[in-house]
Amino acid sequence: MPIIVRLDDVLHHRRMSLTELSDRIGITLANLSVLKTGKARAIRFSTLDAICQALQCQPGEILEFVAAVDADDKPVPENVA
Amino acid sequence: MTPSLERSDRPLALSRSVLGLLIKLNLMLGILIFGLLISTLVAQGPVMRALGAIPSPDNGRVIFGMRGIMVIGVLATPVLHLIFTRLLAIVETVKAGDPFIGINADRLQTIAWAIIGLELMHVAVVILANGVTVGTQKVDIGDKFSITPWLTILLIFVLARVFDQGARMREDLAGTV
Repeated sequence: MPIIVRLDDVLHHRRMSLTELSDRIGITLANLSVLKTGKARAIRFSTLDAICQALQCQPGEILEFVAAVDADDKPVPENVA
Repeated sequence: MTPSLERSDRPLALSRSVLGLLIKLNLMLGILIFGLLISTLVAQGPVMRALGAIPSPDNGRVIFGMRGIMVIGVLATPVLHLIFTRLLAIVETVKAGDPFIGINADRLQTIAWAIIGLELMHVAVVILANGVTVGTQKVDIGDKFSITPWLTILLIFVLARVFDQGARMREDLAGTV
């Protein structure tokens, strides 16, 4: 998926651990790990809101779109099905 | 376990027992019909008399029809086995607490196709029975057409699609943070 999760970077800048974030926003460590490692299929607005409030950041600092390209540098369409 | 859960588990346990019994009965009946078919070839006269076929010069067609119906009966055994085992597998996933999985949609679809097979066999039996009737010698199998099995098939195909969509939605939800 061309959406990259930058939660680790933001946490590092804020000097905050994943466990601490989990305690602050009330989302399990397991679910935050899924998000951090880019294994999540979707993120709720409520989760994003809680993370942004706790880390005092914008959604764009946590999520980044990187277009997938083929060998000829042409964008590869993402299958959303 | 709460009392309500225990209550909801009872029909499930009953379904498992009934399906287990039906699987065994179906196999036994399949073997019996096959045995009967073989015995009509080995000892045609006594077996056909026992089945109600009166010996006469023109009862060859009746005997042919009865054998044909027995062949269809034998062929129906693996089809029924497919239905019962797939249904039991679905019941097992309900017991395990995880029925909304893609494979259950495939199982339901298999059951629907198998019921179509059974209905076509029923049609073949009716045609065969009517085709071999000679005078008073009649192969009586109760040839009333019913719309219910075909509606059931339609319902199962729709349910299979519902299961498929449900499984996808559940999968999406499982990956939602």
